[in-house]
Amino acid sequence: MGVVGLTRGRWVTAIVTLLSAAVLMLIVCLRFGVEYIGFTEAARILVHTVRDGQVSVGTAGPAGAILLQVRLPRLLLGFLVGSSLAAVGVALQALLRNPLADPYVLGISSGAALGATVATLLGLGTAAFAVTALPLFAFMGGLFSLFVVYRIAASYGRLPIHILLLAGVILNAIFSALIMFITSMMEPNRSFGMMAWLMGALTPPTYSTLAALAAYIATGGIILLRQARALNLLTFGEEAAASMGVEVEKTKKTIFFTAALLTGAAVSVSGMIGFIGMVVPHIVRMVIGADHRLLLPAAALVGGVFLIAADTVARIVLAPGEIPVGVVTALAGGPFFIFLLMNRKTSPIQWRD
Amino acid sequence: MSRRAPTIAWTCLAVLLIAGVLPVGSQQTETGPRTFVDDLDRKIILTHTPRRIISLAPSITETLFAIGLGERVVGVTQYCDYPPEAQAKPKVGYIHPNLESIVALQPDLVLAPREFLRGEVLGKLEQLNIPTYVMDAGMIDDVLSHIRTLGRMLGALDAADELAGRMQKQLEAIKARTAMLPRPRVLYVLNSEPLITVGPGSFIHQAIELAGGSNIAEPSRVAYPRLSMETVLKANPDLIIFPSSVVERGSEGERQRWQRWATLSAVKQGRFYRLPNELLNRPGPRVVQGVETLARILHPDTFGERDSR
Repeated sequence: MGVVGLTRGRWVTAIVTLLSAAVLMLIVCLRFGVEYIGFTEAARILVHTVRDGQVSVGTAGPAGAILLQVRLPRLLLGFLVGSSLAAVGVALQALLRNPLADPYVLGISSGAALGATVATLLGLGTAAFAVTALPLFAFMGGLFSLFVVYRIAASYGRLPIHILLLAGVILNAIFSALIMFITSMMEPNRSFGMMAWLMGALTPPTYSTLAALAAYIATGGIILLRQARALNLLTFGEEAAASMGVEVEKTKKTIFFTAALLTGAAVSVSGMIGFIGMVVPHIVRMVIGADHRLLLPAAALVGGVFLIAADTVARIVLAPGEIPVGVVTALAGGPFFIFLLMNRKTSPIQWRD
Repeated sequence: MSRRAPTIAWTCLAVLLIAGVLPVGSQQTETGPRTFVDDLDRKIILTHTPRRIISLAPSITETLFAIGLGERVVGVTQYCDYPPEAQAKPKVGYIHPNLESIVALQPDLVLAPREFLRGEVLGKLEQLNIPTYVMDAGMIDDVLSHIRTLGRMLGALDAADELAGRMQKQLEAIKARTAMLPRPRVLYVLNSEPLITVGPGSFIHQAIELAGGSNIAEPSRVAYPRLSMETVLKANPDLIIFPSSVVERGSEGERQRWQRWATLSAVKQGRFYRLPNELLNRPGPRVVQGVETLARILHPDTFGERDSR
């Protein structure tokens, strides 16, 4: 239904509205933190930074560093991670025509987590190149997982969706067991740190890391967006889509690989943050319809906003301590999803074919 | 069960009264059941002085050896590496102790730490009639009282009193020497990403305070809080300490990782230190060494420089 109703004007209105909401949320969340920084001081710091043309921490005391080196990069990281998880969720749900599909179901996330666990076990988590080793291993774990799932499904000729899902579930079980095994072999001190990482954590990145990640995620996002029309047609079923000119297998491969690459990147910088990839697409779809040309970017924006809001709660609720952001997303997203399921009118299961 | 409870209670009371009245010198010749109450408020009845002891924590093993009872230890955890003789003892596991191994070693006493001890393991040990004494060493004072309790329980009162007394004197000496000194602000890094540190209620926090430091995570309400870099930047620690397990494979990497927080006084002055983590992670007799090492790091002028950078 949404496919018919989308005009350029409506697209622009929706995106501009959501973009403004995202910027507003960013500003609001920039205000909140463990350490108090008033609006006037924040404005002064920002003005100085813009005037000097660089992120200067200088002698202005810790407020500048707190605002620009800790809070802002962390918020931006949260936005990138939330966006990519939500966009991947939209694409996978359409592709697999399964309302439960998200990066976790396919085992990509747990593959990435296993990679990170192995890196920590090898002591790479603390070595000089730790900054690159952990994400790299996580990324490779995600890719490995994708490769295995893909090979299993491909051995059936085309890529049967139920085989993909089943392979993902089994891989999840195996990887979880391996993670538990490795964690149980570690010294209690180190397994403690490992568990904390697995629970999801946004650590303030450097701006160069952030820029690289942004470029990477934007590329993935554009690839997904270019498949939006195909995704629209795929929701009618593979045969119907094929009869309308979609190269089904090629589309599946493209989306599948892009999803894995985006998830690997997200998990490698933030650990396991669940529920965004599953819940956000459903909420956005209920509000703006199922046209993926709008749904993909809209869900990405909402996902980003959702994660920075959740992370802000995680940052301040137990101040000066923090709680794992994965706890907040699951506690906020889970009950809401149950509410949707219990209410027949809104149940996401109806959306299926 | 319910009918026997009063009898047991009366027996305990009687034993306690007698134990209180009798001179303590008769510890070696003591006969008849003695009752002890552990840190879970469980009553443990010992019919004789235990001869075959299993220790389920490195700190407990160290304590037993320190009061000269190493020979009586028949089983330890795989992490019990001090003193070196302990490594030769049969291993029974740690977080998941092997009940079969424990039973096979025929212990007449199991000493277990409260942390990590799972309820079903304790239940099984009770069901097997193996006396199990649970010890909760949350604070440094608990270490001293545990040493004395073990001495009383195992007939090594003199050695235990001597050890505990010496430790107490050393701790008081450190406290006295640091009392008038300025207290440098300390960040203790348990884990870098996410940043996890020690808060009040943790053993290490207490050690930092004793050694004359001020833990920047003091306002936290959790024993092992995740800390935001915001808090760290605001609190501006004078020095950053890593337990050696965190840095053993790359102290340079840790140091580099922290270089980007250039406003921190610890970074400006390059005050990064590592501390052998078994000294303070284990609430045992070497805690004093740990506090001393910390004091040397915090106040090099008073306690003499120690090269642990």
